[in-house]
Amino acid sequence: MVKAYGQEHVYKHPWERVTSASWRKFSDPENKRTLSHIVEVDTLNHKLDPESGKLYTTRAITVHAPGPWFVRKIIGQDICHCVESTVVDARTKSMQLTTRNISLQKFLEVEEKIRYDPHPDNPNEWTVCQQETSIRIKPLSALASMAEKVEQKCAEKFMQNSAKGREVMERMCKYLEAESRGIAM
Amino acid sequence: MRITKKDKRDQSSTSPCAHLRAAYHNCFNRWYSEKFVKGQWGKEECEHLDDKHLSRFLEAEIVPSDLGKPVDGVSQ
Repeated sequence: MVKAYGQEHVYKHPWERVTSASWRKFSDPENKRTLSHIVEVDTLNHKLDPESGKLYTTRAITVHAPGPWFVRKIIGQDICHCVESTVVDARTKSMQLTTRNISLQKFLEVEEKIRYDPHPDNPNEWTVCQQETSIRIKPLSALASMAEKVEQKCAEKFMQNSAKGREVMERMCKYLEAESRGIAM
Repeated sequence: MRITKKDKRDQSSTSPCAHLRAAYHNCFNRWYSEKFVKGQWGKEECEHLDDKHLSRFLEAEIVPSDLGKPVDGVSQ
């Protein structure tokens, strides 16, 4: 059983600024309070292809276990390790992030894909973000009998967290905009 | 005084890695916004935490009493 949902958001900021904000989303101390589900972010690898202008990044992201409290109770863990792979193409201006859980895989698989592209109606000023999340409870796991409920609760939680993520992104974009104009905040 | 490995895991934000990680993030963020997205993607300028750094951390974790002991497989 797979539950998938998508969201779209338009940032009234250029692609360069929005993707810069995306890198700073987890590292800025002020955001840590808002994004309290993020425990730790570590860069594992950066690879730059100087010919094509593509940057490949792998990060380890530790989050508080997804879903409602009874899921944490069943799986007996309250943190979950994820791997995020990012490809930024500076030439075509696209950024794609894919995040998957690597722990708790015998219970559930969560995959989140985010893309940032210049908005077709105003490519120099706006950026469109497309987000797709899929949640799959493993059929033979302890969670299987209540899979639908768990998926629903997980989806709600992810929606809340992505709303927080947007809020942080908007704040970072404003900050970077002010910084680029030389105004200290 | 011996510090156990178990304790260290919980102190990630104050670990010796933390300030290097912060310095790396700052460097990367600056390079990304000021160079990479502006078309200057010829080379990356920030030094990532690599094996060299990791071995330094491991050395720093060796307590003095361990230093005098011979290491298996290393001829003195």
